[in-house]
Amino acid sequence: METMQLEKKDFFYEHQFDWDKCRHIVNDFQSVTHCHHYMILTTQVAEDADFIDGTKILITTMEDTAYRVLHHYYTKHNITELWEKISIAEQYYSAFGLGQIKFNHVGEYSATVDVLHSHIDEGWIKKWSKRNKPVNYIGRGFIQGVMCLFNDKPIRSYWSEETKSIVKGDDKGEIKTWLEWE
Amino acid sequence: MVGVGVNIMQGNIDREKVISEFSKRDVRGNDEGLIPEYNVLLNQLPTEFWNQFNERISTKVNPEFKKEAERLLYNSAREYGYHTGWGIITSDEFKSVVGPMIKDEPEDILHGAYALFTAWGWAKTEIVELDPGKKMIVRAYDYYESDVVKYGKSPKMSTYMIAGISAAFMDLAYGGEYPKGFNKYDCKQTKGIECGDDFAEFVVTSKQEQNNW
Repeated sequence: METMQLEKKDFFYEHQFDWDKCRHIVNDFQSVTHCHHYMILTTQVAEDADFIDGTKILITTMEDTAYRVLHHYYTKHNITELWEKISIAEQYYSAFGLGQIKFNHVGEYSATVDVLHSHIDEGWIKKWSKRNKPVNYIGRGFIQGVMCLFNDKPIRSYWSEETKSIVKGDDKGEIKTWLEWE
Repeated sequence: MVGVGVNIMQGNIDREKVISEFSKRDVRGNDEGLIPEYNVLLNQLPTEFWNQFNERISTKVNPEFKKEAERLLYNSAREYGYHTGWGIITSDEFKSVVGPMIKDEPEDILHGAYALFTAWGWAKTEIVELDPGKKMIVRAYDYYESDVVKYGKSPKMSTYMIAGISAAFMDLAYGGEYPKGFNKYDCKQTKGIECGDDFAEFVVTSKQEQNNW
Protein backbone atom coordinates (compact mmCIF):
# COMPACT_ATOMS: atom_id res chain seq x y z
CA MET A 1 0.00 0.00 0.00
CA GLU A 2 1.31 3.44 -0.90
CA THR A 3 2.04 5.70 2.04
CA MET A 4 0.04 8.91 2.01
CA GLN A 5 2.01 12.11 2.33
CA LEU A 6 0.85 15.13 4.24
CA GLU A 7 2.06 17.50 1.54
CA LYS A 8 -0.64 19.56 -0.17
CA LYS A 9 -0.65 19.72 -3.95
CA ASP A 10 -1.20 23.19 -5.45
CA PHE A 11 -4.81 23.47 -6.61
CA PHE A 12 -5.72 25.60 -9.61
CA TYR A 13 -9.14 27.23 -9.74
CA GLU A 14 -9.81 29.12 -12.97
CA HIS A 15 -13.07 31.03 -13.07
CA GLN A 16 -14.50 32.88 -16.08
CA PHE A 17 -17.84 34.55 -16.72
CA ASP A 18 -19.21 34.42 -20.27
CA TRP A 19 -20.94 37.77 -20.69
CA ASP A 20 -22.78 36.78 -23.84
CA LYS A 21 -24.41 33.70 -22.37
CA CYS A 22 -24.19 34.80 -18.73
CA ARG A 23 -22.69 31.49 -17.69
CA HIS A 24 -19.85 30.65 -15.31
CA ILE A 25 -16.98 28.39 -16.32
CA VAL A 26 -14.83 26.86 -13.57
CA ASN A 27 -11.83 24.78 -14.61
CA ASP A 28 -13.38 24.31 -18.08
CA PHE A 29 -16.74 23.11 -16.68
CA GLN A 30 -19.88 25.19 -16.88
CA SER A 31 -20.90 25.81 -13.28
CA VAL A 32 -23.68 27.44 -11.34
CA THR A 33 -24.20 28.88 -7.89
CA HIS A 34 -26.97 27.34 -5.81
CA CYS A 35 -27.38 26.99 -2.05
CA HIS A 36 -28.11 24.56 0.75
CA HIS A 37 -31.87 24.95 0.33
CA TYR A 38 -31.72 23.56 -3.21
CA MET A 39 -29.30 20.79 -2.28
CA ILE A 40 -31.45 19.75 0.66
CA LEU A 41 -34.67 19.86 -1.32
CA THR A 42 -33.02 17.91 -4.14
CA THR A 43 -31.93 15.33 -1.58
CA GLN A 44 -35.49 15.23 -0.27
CA VAL A 45 -36.76 14.66 -3.83
CA ALA A 46 -34.31 11.75 -4.12
CA GLU A 47 -35.63 10.20 -0.90
CA ASP A 48 -39.25 10.79 -1.90
CA ALA A 49 -38.60 9.14 -5.27
CA ASP A 50 -37.85 5.77 -3.63
CA PHE A 51 -40.05 4.06 -6.25
CA ILE A 52 -37.22 4.65 -8.75
CA ASP A 53 -34.37 4.36 -6.22
CA GLY A 54 -33.94 8.13 -6.10
CA THR A 55 -31.07 8.16 -3.61
CA LYS A 56 -29.06 5.86 -5.87
CA ILE A 57 -29.73 8.29 -8.73
CA LEU A 58 -28.40 11.16 -6.59
CA ILE A 59 -25.30 9.22 -5.51
CA THR A 60 -24.41 8.07 -9.03
CA THR A 61 -25.10 11.50 -10.52
CA MET A 62 -22.52 13.01 -8.16
CA GLU A 63 -20.20 10.08 -8.88
CA ASP A 64 -20.39 10.81 -12.62
CA THR A 65 -19.78 14.53 -12.07
CA ALA A 66 -16.80 14.00 -9.77
CA TYR A 67 -15.33 11.41 -12.11
CA ARG A 68 -15.57 13.66 -15.18
CA VAL A 69 -14.37 16.85 -13.49
CA LEU A 70 -11.43 15.26 -11.65
CA HIS A 71 -10.43 13.11 -14.64
CA HIS A 72 -10.20 16.28 -16.72
CA TYR A 73 -8.22 18.07 -14.02
CA TYR A 74 -5.75 15.20 -13.49
CA THR A 75 -5.16 14.91 -17.24
CA LYS A 76 -4.80 18.65 -17.83
CA HIS A 77 -2.37 19.16 -14.94
CA ASN A 78 -0.57 15.84 -15.32
CA ILE A 79 -1.54 14.59 -11.87
CA THR A 80 -0.37 10.98 -11.69
CA GLU A 81 0.76 10.21 -8.14
CA LEU A 82 -1.82 8.91 -5.68
CA TRP A 83 -1.06 11.46 -2.98
CA GLU A 84 -1.49 14.27 -5.54
CA LYS A 85 -4.83 12.88 -6.70
CA ILE A 86 -6.05 12.64 -3.10
CA SER A 87 -4.91 16.15 -2.25
CA ILE A 88 -6.62 17.63 -5.32
CA ALA A 89 -9.83 15.66 -4.66
CA GLU A 90 -10.00 16.97 -1.08
CA GLN A 91 -9.45 20.54 -2.27
CA TYR A 92 -11.94 20.21 -5.12
CA TYR A 93 -14.63 18.99 -2.68
CA SER A 94 -14.05 22.13 -0.62
CA ALA A 95 -13.92 24.42 -3.66
CA PHE A 96 -17.38 23.14 -4.66
CA GLY A 97 -18.56 24.32 -1.24
CA LEU A 98 -19.49 20.76 -0.24
CA GLY A 99 -17.46 20.83 2.97
CA GLN A 100 -14.17 19.38 4.12
CA ILE A 101 -13.12 15.75 3.71
CA LYS A 102 -9.96 13.92 4.70
CA PHE A 103 -9.01 10.54 3.31
CA ASN A 104 -7.71 8.41 6.20
CA HIS A 105 -6.67 5.45 4.11
CA VAL A 106 -6.94 4.63 0.44
CA GLY A 107 -6.37 1.22 -1.08
CA GLU A 108 -7.50 -0.57 -4.17
CA TYR A 109 -10.26 -2.39 -2.33
CA SER A 110 -11.42 0.16 0.23
CA ALA A 111 -11.03 3.62 1.75
CA THR A 112 -12.20 5.52 4.79
CA VAL A 113 -12.90 9.21 4.72
CA ASP A 114 -13.58 11.67 7.53
CA VAL A 115 -16.16 14.35 6.81
CA LEU A 116 -15.04 17.29 8.92
CA HIS A 117 -17.56 19.76 7.52
CA SER A 118 -20.56 19.07 5.33
CA HIS A 119 -22.66 21.45 3.22
CA ILE A 120 -25.61 19.09 3.20
CA ASP A 121 -25.47 18.06 6.88
CA GLU A 122 -24.90 21.56 8.25
CA GLY A 123 -27.46 22.99 5.83
CA TRP A 124 -29.98 20.33 6.82
CA ILE A 125 -29.55 21.14 10.52
CA LYS A 126 -29.81 24.86 9.74
CA LYS A 127 -33.03 24.34 7.78
CA TRP A 128 -34.75 21.43 9.52
CA SER A 129 -32.63 20.30 12.52
CA LYS A 130 -30.98 16.92 13.18
CA ARG A 131 -32.42 13.59 12.15
CA ASN A 132 -31.59 9.94 12.80
CA LYS A 133 -30.67 8.97 9.24
CA PRO A 134 -27.53 9.96 7.26
CA VAL A 135 -28.04 12.41 4.43
CA ASN A 136 -24.71 12.91 2.69
CA TYR A 137 -25.47 11.09 -0.57
CA ILE A 138 -23.52 13.66 -2.58
CA GLY A 139 -20.43 13.07 -0.43
CA ARG A 140 -20.73 9.35 -1.04
CA GLY A 141 -21.05 9.88 -4.78
CA PHE A 142 -18.05 12.18 -4.89
CA ILE A 143 -15.89 9.65 -3.02
CA GLN A 144 -17.04 6.75 -5.20
CA GLY A 145 -16.15 8.75 -8.32
CA VAL A 146 -12.67 9.77 -7.24
CA MET A 147 -11.88 6.27 -5.92
CA CYS A 148 -12.27 5.00 -9.50
CA LEU A 149 -9.69 7.58 -10.58
CA PHE A 150 -7.32 6.86 -7.67
CA ASN A 151 -7.24 3.18 -8.64
CA ASP A 152 -7.64 3.42 -12.44
CA LYS A 153 -10.98 1.62 -12.33
CA PRO A 154 -14.04 2.21 -14.50
CA ILE A 155 -16.95 4.24 -13.17
CA ARG A 156 -19.34 2.34 -10.79
CA SER A 157 -16.52 0.21 -9.42
CA TYR A 158 -17.17 1.31 -5.84
CA TRP A 159 -20.09 1.59 -3.45
CA SER A 160 -20.15 3.30 -0.07
CA GLU A 161 -21.83 3.72 3.28
CA GLU A 162 -22.00 6.65 5.67
CA THR A 163 -20.97 5.19 9.04
CA LYS A 164 -20.88 8.42 11.05
CA SER A 165 -23.06 11.40 10.32
CA ILE A 166 -23.03 15.04 11.37
CA VAL A 167 -26.79 15.35 10.84
CA LYS A 168 -27.28 12.47 13.32
CA GLY A 169 -25.22 14.25 15.96
CA ASP A 170 -21.71 12.83 15.44
CA ASP A 171 -18.84 15.31 15.73
CA LYS A 172 -17.77 14.40 12.22
CA GLY A 173 -19.02 12.20 9.44
CA GLU A 174 -17.33 9.08 8.14
CA ILE A 175 -17.74 7.40 4.77
CA LYS A 176 -16.45 3.93 4.02
CA THR A 177 -16.15 2.81 0.42
CA TRP A 178 -15.27 -0.55 -1.10
CA LEU A 179 -14.64 -2.18 -4.45
CA GLU A 180 -17.77 -3.94 -5.63
CA TRP A 181 -17.35 -7.60 -6.54
CA GLU A 182 -20.44 -8.25 -8.65
CA MET B 1 -22.07 43.63 -22.45
CA VAL B 2 -25.23 41.89 -21.32
CA GLY B 3 -26.03 40.86 -24.90
CA VAL B 4 -28.83 40.94 -27.39
CA GLY B 5 -32.32 40.27 -26.14
CA VAL B 6 -31.93 41.64 -22.66
CA ASN B 7 -32.59 45.23 -21.64
CA ILE B 8 -29.86 47.01 -19.71
CA MET B 9 -32.39 48.83 -17.53
CA GLN B 10 -35.36 47.09 -15.94
CA GLY B 11 -37.45 49.39 -13.81
CA ASN B 12 -34.84 51.48 -12.04
CA ILE B 13 -32.33 48.64 -11.91
CA ASP B 14 -29.12 48.84 -13.91
CA ARG B 15 -28.84 45.15 -14.77
CA GLU B 16 -25.39 45.46 -16.24
CA LYS B 17 -24.04 46.94 -13.04
CA VAL B 18 -25.71 44.30 -10.87
CA ILE B 19 -24.59 41.41 -13.07
CA SER B 20 -21.08 42.81 -13.28
CA GLU B 21 -20.84 43.14 -9.51
CA PHE B 22 -22.23 39.71 -8.59
CA SER B 23 -20.79 37.62 -11.42
CA LYS B 24 -17.18 38.44 -10.62
CA ARG B 25 -17.38 37.37 -6.99
CA ASP B 26 -15.19 34.45 -6.06
CA VAL B 27 -17.61 31.70 -5.06
CA ARG B 28 -15.60 28.86 -3.55
CA GLY B 29 -15.25 27.17 -0.21
CA ASN B 30 -13.45 28.69 2.77
CA ASP B 31 -11.07 26.74 5.03
CA GLU B 32 -13.99 24.55 6.10
CA GLY B 33 -15.08 23.99 2.52
CA LEU B 34 -18.23 26.05 3.05
CA ILE B 35 -19.51 29.21 1.34
CA PRO B 36 -21.58 31.15 3.88
CA GLU B 37 -22.98 34.17 1.99
CA TYR B 38 -26.37 35.84 1.44
CA ASN B 39 -27.61 34.27 4.72
CA VAL B 40 -27.28 30.78 3.19
CA LEU B 41 -24.59 28.18 2.45
CA LEU B 42 -23.74 28.38 -1.25
CA ASN B 43 -22.33 25.70 -3.51
CA GLN B 44 -20.73 25.99 -6.95
CA LEU B 45 -21.23 22.78 -8.91
CA PRO B 46 -21.03 21.86 -12.58
CA THR B 47 -24.40 22.34 -14.25
CA GLU B 48 -24.26 18.77 -15.54
CA PHE B 49 -24.84 17.55 -11.98
CA TRP B 50 -28.18 19.35 -11.70
CA ASN B 51 -29.29 18.56 -15.25
CA GLN B 52 -28.37 14.91 -14.99
CA PHE B 53 -30.25 14.45 -11.72
CA ASN B 54 -33.40 16.17 -13.00
CA GLU B 55 -33.37 14.25 -16.28
CA ARG B 56 -32.80 10.90 -14.61
CA ILE B 57 -35.65 11.51 -12.18
CA SER B 58 -38.07 12.83 -14.81
CA THR B 59 -37.33 10.27 -17.52
CA LYS B 60 -36.74 7.09 -15.51
CA VAL B 61 -40.09 7.32 -13.80
CA ASN B 62 -43.01 5.28 -15.07
CA PRO B 63 -45.16 7.47 -17.40
CA GLU B 64 -48.11 7.36 -15.01
CA PHE B 65 -45.96 9.04 -12.31
CA LYS B 66 -44.14 11.45 -14.65
CA LYS B 67 -46.22 14.48 -13.71
CA GLU B 68 -45.74 13.71 -10.04
CA ALA B 69 -41.95 13.45 -10.46
CA GLU B 70 -41.82 16.71 -12.40
CA ARG B 71 -43.94 18.36 -9.72
CA LEU B 72 -41.41 17.26 -7.08
CA LEU B 73 -38.62 18.93 -9.06
CA TYR B 74 -40.65 22.10 -9.60
CA ASN B 75 -41.72 22.27 -5.95
CA SER B 76 -38.18 21.85 -4.69
CA ALA B 77 -37.09 24.78 -6.87
CA ARG B 78 -40.06 26.85 -5.72
CA GLU B 79 -39.31 26.32 -2.04
CA TYR B 80 -35.64 26.91 -2.73
CA GLY B 81 -36.41 30.15 -4.57
CA TYR B 82 -38.64 31.39 -1.79
CA HIS B 83 -36.18 30.95 1.08
CA THR B 84 -33.02 31.70 -0.87
CA GLY B 85 -34.69 34.63 -2.59
CA TRP B 86 -35.53 36.03 0.83
CA GLY B 87 -31.95 35.44 1.95
CA ILE B 88 -30.69 37.27 -1.12
CA ILE B 89 -32.89 40.35 -0.97
CA THR B 90 -32.31 40.82 2.76
CA SER B 91 -28.54 40.30 2.54
CA ASP B 92 -26.00 43.05 3.03
CA GLU B 93 -24.51 42.16 -0.36
CA PHE B 94 -27.81 42.78 -2.16
CA LYS B 95 -28.61 45.90 -0.17
CA SER B 96 -25.22 47.44 -0.90
CA VAL B 97 -25.37 46.91 -4.68
CA VAL B 98 -29.07 46.92 -5.57
CA GLY B 99 -30.39 48.90 -2.61
CA PRO B 100 -29.40 52.37 -3.89
CA MET B 101 -31.22 51.73 -7.21
CA ILE B 102 -34.54 50.79 -5.64
CA LYS B 103 -37.20 53.47 -6.04
CA ASP B 104 -40.34 51.44 -6.61
CA GLU B 105 -41.02 48.52 -4.29
CA PRO B 106 -41.44 45.66 -4.74
CA GLU B 107 -41.01 45.91 -8.52
CA ASP B 108 -37.39 47.11 -8.45
CA ILE B 109 -36.50 44.43 -5.91
CA LEU B 110 -37.96 41.88 -8.30
CA HIS B 111 -35.93 43.26 -11.23
CA GLY B 112 -32.83 43.25 -9.04
CA ALA B 113 -33.44 39.66 -8.03
CA TYR B 114 -33.63 38.63 -11.70
CA ALA B 115 -30.38 40.46 -12.40
CA LEU B 116 -28.73 38.45 -9.64
CA PHE B 117 -30.49 35.35 -11.02
CA THR B 118 -28.60 36.04 -14.23
CA ALA B 119 -25.30 36.80 -12.49
CA TRP B 120 -25.30 33.48 -10.63
CA GLY B 121 -25.55 31.58 -13.92
CA TRP B 122 -29.08 30.32 -13.38
CA ALA B 123 -30.37 31.82 -16.63
CA LYS B 124 -30.10 34.93 -18.77
CA THR B 125 -33.52 36.20 -17.82
CA GLU B 126 -35.62 39.32 -17.73
CA ILE B 127 -39.17 40.28 -16.89
CA VAL B 128 -41.02 41.22 -20.07
CA GLU B 129 -44.43 41.88 -18.56
CA LEU B 130 -45.46 42.69 -15.03
CA ASP B 131 -48.97 43.34 -13.83
CA PRO B 132 -48.25 43.99 -10.15
CA GLY B 133 -49.71 41.33 -7.91
CA LYS B 134 -51.46 39.59 -10.77
CA LYS B 135 -49.22 38.36 -13.51
CA MET B 136 -45.58 38.24 -14.57
CA ILE B 137 -44.03 36.97 -17.79
CA VAL B 138 -40.33 36.11 -17.75
CA ARG B 139 -38.12 35.22 -20.68
CA ALA B 140 -34.88 33.27 -20.58
CA TYR B 141 -32.58 33.65 -23.59
CA ASP B 142 -29.87 31.28 -22.44
CA TYR B 143 -30.03 28.80 -19.57
CA TYR B 144 -28.23 25.68 -18.48
CA GLU B 145 -31.39 23.62 -18.11
CA SER B 146 -31.76 23.68 -21.91
CA ASP B 147 -28.44 21.85 -22.27
CA VAL B 148 -30.26 18.56 -21.74
CA VAL B 149 -31.00 18.68 -25.48
CA LYS B 150 -28.07 18.72 -27.91
CA TYR B 151 -29.91 17.67 -31.06
CA GLY B 152 -33.51 18.07 -32.15
CA LYS B 153 -36.43 19.14 -29.98
CA SER B 154 -37.53 17.60 -26.73
CA PRO B 155 -41.25 16.94 -26.24
CA LYS B 156 -40.70 17.74 -22.55
CA MET B 157 -40.09 21.18 -21.10
CA SER B 158 -37.23 20.80 -18.65
CA THR B 159 -36.93 24.11 -16.89
CA TYR B 160 -38.05 23.12 -13.43
CA MET B 161 -35.61 25.42 -11.66
CA ILE B 162 -36.47 28.67 -13.46
CA ALA B 163 -40.21 27.96 -13.28
CA GLY B 164 -40.10 27.18 -9.55
CA ILE B 165 -38.01 30.20 -8.71
CA SER B 166 -40.19 32.53 -10.78
CA ALA B 167 -43.27 31.45 -8.82
CA ALA B 168 -41.29 31.96 -5.60
CA PHE B 169 -40.17 35.45 -6.56
CA MET B 170 -43.79 36.49 -7.11
CA ASP B 171 -44.61 35.00 -3.70
CA LEU B 172 -41.89 37.16 -2.18
CA ALA B 173 -42.98 40.28 -4.04
CA TYR B 174 -46.74 40.03 -3.65
CA GLY B 175 -47.60 36.98 -1.53
CA GLY B 176 -47.48 38.75 1.79
CA GLU B 177 -45.16 38.81 4.75
CA TYR B 178 -42.33 36.25 4.74
CA PRO B 179 -42.64 33.31 5.44
CA LYS B 180 -46.43 33.31 5.25
CA GLY B 181 -46.57 34.28 1.59
CA PHE B 182 -45.33 30.99 0.19
CA ASN B 183 -47.29 29.12 -2.46
CA LYS B 184 -49.60 31.93 -3.47
CA TYR B 185 -48.44 31.93 -7.12
CA ASP B 186 -47.83 29.28 -9.71
CA CYS B 187 -45.73 29.28 -12.87
CA LYS B 188 -46.27 27.63 -16.21
CA GLN B 189 -43.52 27.27 -18.78
CA THR B 190 -44.97 28.04 -22.20
CA LYS B 191 -41.84 27.98 -24.40
CA GLY B 192 -38.42 26.39 -24.16
CA ILE B 193 -35.15 26.38 -26.07
CA GLU B 194 -34.97 22.65 -25.35
CA CYS B 195 -38.22 22.32 -27.29
CA GLY B 196 -36.99 24.29 -30.31
CA ASP B 197 -38.14 27.80 -29.36
CA ASP B 198 -35.79 30.79 -29.57
CA PHE B 199 -36.23 31.48 -25.87
CA ALA B 200 -38.05 30.10 -22.87
CA GLU B 201 -41.08 31.85 -21.47
CA PHE B 202 -42.72 31.57 -18.06
CA VAL B 203 -46.11 32.88 -17.06
CA VAL B 204 -46.67 33.42 -13.34
CA THR B 205 -50.16 34.03 -12.03
CA SER B 206 -51.77 33.96 -8.63
CA LYS B 207 -53.47 30.74 -7.62
CA GLN B 208 -56.54 32.79 -6.83
CA GLU B 209 -56.60 34.11 -10.42
CA GLN B 210 -56.23 30.58 -11.73
CA ASN B 211 -59.19 29.47 -9.66
CA ASN B 212 -61.23 32.21 -11.28
CA TRP B 213 -60.52 30.90 -14.78
